[in-house]
Amino acid sequence: MLGGIYALLGIGLTLIFGIMRVVNFTHGELYSFGAYMMFMFVMLLHLDFFLSLVLATALGVALGAVIEFVLLRRLRGADIDTTMLVMIGAWIAMQNVEQLIWSGVAKSITSPFPSAPLVLGGISVAWSRLFVFAVALLLIAGTYALVDRTRIGRAMRATFQDGDTARLMGVDIDTTYLATFALGSGLAAAAGALLGPVFVVTPGMGDLAALKAFAIVILGGLGSILGATIGGFLLAFIEELGAGYLSSGYRDAMGFALIILVLLMRPTGLISRKDRIG
Amino acid sequence: MLRVEGLTCRYGKVAAVSELTLEVRQGELVALIGANGAGKTTTLKAISGLVAPVAGRLMFSGRDITGASARHILRLGIAHCPEGRRVFPYMTVLENLQMGSHLRRDRRQVAADMAGLLDRFPILRERRAQTAGTLSGGEQQLLAIARALMSRPKLVMFDEPSLGLAPTIVDRVFDVIKTIQAAGVTVIMVEQNAFAALELSDRAYVIEQGRLTLTGTGRDLLENPRVKAAYLGA
Repeated sequence: MLGGIYALLGIGLTLIFGIMRVVNFTHGELYSFGAYMMFMFVMLLHLDFFLSLVLATALGVALGAVIEFVLLRRLRGADIDTTMLVMIGAWIAMQNVEQLIWSGVAKSITSPFPSAPLVLGGISVAWSRLFVFAVALLLIAGTYALVDRTRIGRAMRATFQDGDTARLMGVDIDTTYLATFALGSGLAAAAGALLGPVFVVTPGMGDLAALKAFAIVILGGLGSILGATIGGFLLAFIEELGAGYLSSGYRDAMGFALIILVLLMRPTGLISRKDRIG
Repeated sequence: MLRVEGLTCRYGKVAAVSELTLEVRQGELVALIGANGAGKTTTLKAISGLVAPVAGRLMFSGRDITGASARHILRLGIAHCPEGRRVFPYMTVLENLQMGSHLRRDRRQVAADMAGLLDRFPILRERRAQTAGTLSGGEQQLLAIARALMSRPKLVMFDEPSLGLAPTIVDRVFDVIKTIQAAGVTVIMVEQNAFAALELSDRAYVIEQGRLTLTGTGRDLLENPRVKAAYLGA
């Protein structure tokens, strides 16, 4: 289940980096934003669980678009350090606003799934986790289809491969960047909205998620959707193995040990440049 | 059809093009020749909207296009086939052609144009599902030309179309460009191969260090002693 969530986070981040060359430090905050919106819609406004999921994701897309429009659009052509500093600032600001609104106390969200697990042969799976996994897979497939088959997806890939030539083809770079950032942010918010009801929601939850998303992107190779997908599942798998066979305290460390290994042995990531972005 | 008046472009403090004035008439094939770094490519980039001029005026079909976006200029009918081919390496041949028609909405016509181009360049049809990065240099150049034609331009600009290609392919590329002109499309060509460019073109401009130094018909310039000494190695 976590593999799907990790893959969603990684794909969002790798799209934004690959196409816009922006190291997106707000990614983790979009993730916790999704989770808090889920909390607000389900627990405070008592909306339907599934409707809330859609709304939280849509708001994530909108928030991403606002960040792109207000912050990143002014920084076009600025060097990567400037952009990084601004994004770090946005990250800190967003996290503190979250803390101000929701306080530091962890929140939990009730999910509508039966508490008795689904038992298949000798394996039992919680319904809620199965649902998270299925939706994550759907979103990943949808992202692939969007990037691979649609006009805006083609414009994204063209911009990634050769920005100037894409402009010569009449691609509107501003619109493409806006769509990319909104899509990446929406995926992060969806990941948070899906996982919030499974665990608890806290203001700092985005930090570890963002760290892992960066790890996945490094693992898969910067700018590779396929790499981020494989990297996401691989990281979750290694974490489970580490937690199971060593100690659950090492769960989060396992992933980072893997990254160090990948960086030492194959610094460009698992997927070579050839397959990037679609 | 196209008038460039007093065009000046800078990269930082360095002037790449200074007060350049030139004119291209409907249906002409005009060549820009000059040494490396003379400002030919920058001139094309200014016309297609990739580089913003610091001074001067660009007029196309009676409209002022100075400082307009690349998107707007393409929509008005100027296509730019850039130096070094610049096909999208990880996209298939078909996707590259689709990028050429990115702004067009007339789907049926686009499909017909694409079929027509694939008939004209059978090698592209054969390789249509391959990524463009796996094509040979000559095939990539043909793809870049076909991609530029997919926008149905009134004026198309070729930047160094023969660069890095085998001699037999070079002839093919020049043939194709001649055919494009014969079909009624106006052509501007920047070319290192001055001899071929002058032979092919109706008129030519010689640019040196960002400034216009000579102009005339291709034939006249071929006979010009200065041109001969500087560009034709005679």
